[in-house]
Amino acid sequence: MKITQRLGRMASVALLVAAVLAVLGPFLWVILGSFKNERSINDPLAIFFTPTLDNWNAVINGGILQAAGRSLIVATISVSIALLVGGMGAYSIARYKAGGSTMRFGILSAQVLPPAVLVFPFLALAYTLRVNDTLVAVTAAHISLVLPVVTWFLIGFFEAVPKGIEEAAQVDGLGKFAAFRTVVLPQVAPGIGAAAVFGFTLSWNDLFYALILAPGNAQTLPVAIAGFNTFRGVQLGAMCAAILVSVVPVLIASYFIQRRLVRGISGGSLKY
Amino acid sequence: MAFRIKMIMPLVALFLVAIGYPLGYSFWLSLTNYRITKPGQTEFVGMAQYQALFDNAAYWEALIVTGTFMVIAVSLELVLGLAIALALRRQVRVRNMTRAFLLSPMFITPIAVGLMFRFLLNPQLGPLDLLLEKLNLSYDYFGPGNAIFTIALIDVWQWTPFMVLLLLAGLESLPRAPFEAAKVDGASPWLTLKSITLPMLSSVLVVAVLIRGLDAMRVFEYVFAITRGGPGTETQTIQYLIYQTGIQFFRLGQASAMAYMVLAIVLVFVIFLFRAINKEARR
Amino acid sequence: MKKRKGGAAAFIAAVTALSLAACASSDTAETPAATETTASETTASETTAAAELTGTVRVLMEGVPDTDVVTALLPEFNKLYPGVTIEIETAAYDQMRDKYVASFQAPESTYDLAIIDNPWMDDFADAGFLSPLDDQIANTPDYNYEDIAAPLRAINEVNAVTYGVPFYNYVLGLIYRTDLLAEAGLPVPTNLDELVSTAQALNTPARAGIAMQPQRGYKIFEEWGNWLFSAGGSIYDENGVPTLDTPEAQKALEAYITAYNSAAPADSLNWGFDEALRSVSNNQSAMMISYNWMLPALNKQNDISGDLAGKFALAPMPGGKQVLGSWNWAIPANASNPDAAWAFISWITSPEIEKARVIAGGAPIRISPLSDSAVAEAGFGADYYAAVAEMLANSQPLSQGPNGEEMIQAVGTELNSAVAGTKSVADALAEAQKQAVNIQGL
Repeated sequence: MKITQRLGRMASVALLVAAVLAVLGPFLWVILGSFKNERSINDPLAIFFTPTLDNWNAVINGGILQAAGRSLIVATISVSIALLVGGMGAYSIARYKAGGSTMRFGILSAQVLPPAVLVFPFLALAYTLRVNDTLVAVTAAHISLVLPVVTWFLIGFFEAVPKGIEEAAQVDGLGKFAAFRTVVLPQVAPGIGAAAVFGFTLSWNDLFYALILAPGNAQTLPVAIAGFNTFRGVQLGAMCAAILVSVVPVLIASYFIQRRLVRGISGGSLKY
Repeated sequence: MAFRIKMIMPLVALFLVAIGYPLGYSFWLSLTNYRITKPGQTEFVGMAQYQALFDNAAYWEALIVTGTFMVIAVSLELVLGLAIALALRRQVRVRNMTRAFLLSPMFITPIAVGLMFRFLLNPQLGPLDLLLEKLNLSYDYFGPGNAIFTIALIDVWQWTPFMVLLLLAGLESLPRAPFEAAKVDGASPWLTLKSITLPMLSSVLVVAVLIRGLDAMRVFEYVFAITRGGPGTETQTIQYLIYQTGIQFFRLGQASAMAYMVLAIVLVFVIFLFRAINKEARR
Repeated sequence: MKKRKGGAAAFIAAVTALSLAACASSDTAETPAATETTASETTASETTAAAELTGTVRVLMEGVPDTDVVTALLPEFNKLYPGVTIEIETAAYDQMRDKYVASFQAPESTYDLAIIDNPWMDDFADAGFLSPLDDQIANTPDYNYEDIAAPLRAINEVNAVTYGVPFYNYVLGLIYRTDLLAEAGLPVPTNLDELVSTAQALNTPARAGIAMQPQRGYKIFEEWGNWLFSAGGSIYDENGVPTLDTPEAQKALEAYITAYNSAAPADSLNWGFDEALRSVSNNQSAMMISYNWMLPALNKQNDISGDLAGKFALAPMPGGKQVLGSWNWAIPANASNPDAAWAFISWITSPEIEKARVIAGGAPIRISPLSDSAVAEAGFGADYYAAVAEMLANSQPLSQGPNGEEMIQAVGTELNSAVAGTKSVADALAEAQKQAVNIQGL
């Protein structure tokens, strides 16, 4: 018994080490690459080289930070609206089966359609409303991306909350909405956090909508990074720096969030 | 108005505006022969675009390529994700750091991941091949027969963390009692896994596969960054084909029909899946 | 960057401005500053007209060296047209196309000036997205339109109407290492067989003979088109019908595959421009077929090729005919400032400014500066310009006619399949021919 337990333990650790290395490898390349000039980046095994800050200069002065800021704004707004609207709707669907299976299928369908097809209607509408090449258009498109996923998640969480809770609160004299707000919501707070992170990732990473709806002055981060893929060739060094700029803040945030995150997901009944 | 209706109204309203409108508009487009470079010459053609799809070999090939990709990527992610989740559960030291670090690939925008691997796997410029060379091995990552697997592996690199996240949560929500009972009974870890963990985790597994599967179906950026659908059409996924048709070749009517056909196929599949699961649940 | 002689240029610009004023009075008068002067030759009023032309001209350009050259010349432009602001936005190729298409559809154009790639020219012109420029060209004195290379002018003509003026060419040629060739004692290849044998001779375990770009779609067709020409074949015949399934095409594709299998870097099936360039600049390949203006970049000291700088040379494709591409200035039909846009176009493509642009490293569009010794001296040397002149004189674009981009993608898919070995050469070419004919509606 002890031996198999030992082996199991070792296998576990070995797997984790392998996983960390698999993730670390590319990151290491990216970190080194961000300090390499055009010549040494072509030499993949060069660990010792004269570092340059040119890539970082290009990235920081080239508007990556502003693009990241815009991505942050769009993602925050999309997720907030999705949580608010999706949260209320999810509650209604979970508790009262509002909309029946049509509603659920509709939510599912929205996740299936490729952006390539939905983008042109958005573009046409953006022009008509004269909001093309602004963050408004991108935010609207991202809401269409984030809302279905967030709603779907929250349905599961609301279904896990015991039915008695609202009734108890209503007996105490609270109205239906107040009961929802003060009693049910805290129960699903971790779940809301989980849905928020997933929705945020979707918006943060989206290239397609942002590329077509906000290509120029309102560039988001993925669009800016895609811009390093030029006709002159891929500006690898600058792209590496840009990747780090885009990942490190989210990484730090996720370190603090992920503990609550895992607790959050397990709090909901992961039903479909 | 009933409470439940008031609660769902904002969702329905936003859905109609943000999702219903583009859905409807693109469905309308699929019933026309709209071409961006022929504005003003759009005609209503009814189901003609859909009928034409049945003869479009490239379309069905793209569906098969996408399906292959989905199956490989998601099953690998499931297995690896479960293994890593189980391993993380056992781990006590530096658990939070490891977890945070392992989640990081999810947060890199996919086009950057694609470009990154394009150069990492380059035979002359990437470190991986140089290390392989020392072992006298060489592998054509994006060669015929290999490309779709390599792309799937890139997807695995980026999205296994997502699976780990979901499965970890699922694992942590399981009640302790059955596991303790199993331990008392002296069940081996493998038996525990097979007869206790997996069955209890089944609903989580279904959700994980469904979400990840739908996402995998939309794979585009890796293909765009690295192979552009090649060699031949071996990595031409459905999303890439739709992008090419609608935006590179300007045939938006046809692209919309392609997209709606995909939706129809997925919906049929999902209906069957739900039926099967509900039957299982009722048993 | 050399400054052009002030006096002559001012005169040209002034005359241009005068003709603009004449144009403006005949077009719908959108530009408020267009004065209604008749053709009086007083320089004062001409310069005034130029000085009074106002507006903002927004243009979207690709992030390439030629854009930088244009940006550097802007202050000169503003000396003549102080009231006109040129706003340049840069983007990558695919983004550019998508943004322009979106802009053309809009009620008000986002861009007043456009850069159009040659495969899109026919489609955009047919769709009515672009304004005809014949009148403006005719009314710009001393413009010397015929000095612009004939193949480039042909690209901009759709149904006998001119919709664009070339911005820069990207004709391809053979870039090779002079030292390696000398070491092997080989001459520059002059036909297809020599190209293959030279590549094989230069192929060593540490360094491939030729870096190729067989990536499916655009890249492989752009590269292979040159091989087709070398074999004596052609993409189209005189009637504009594709001729991709000919014995010459067969020979060209077989040679291409031989070179790929025996002299190209291993596992490079999905290589595009980036990988090939890095391979060559990093001493991991001896030759590549690439855009003519990569040569100055490769030979630049302390730049991408490190200590290999100066060791590269450019030769026309063995066989003498090469693939041509060009980016072209055009004015969107829904632009709000067409006159200011034309002022800029005519200025940047004028004979004098062209010289300055070429010296600064811009890819040429006119023939005369290429044999100008002053340009050769101040620029990149007589040999380079002589090669470019030869290449421009005998070149052809990848696609003619409608649905250019789709045709290129279809042919590129078949070619890539053949190189990958998943289709035979005969099948691939037959399919490519069939698709090309189908797509272009012939």
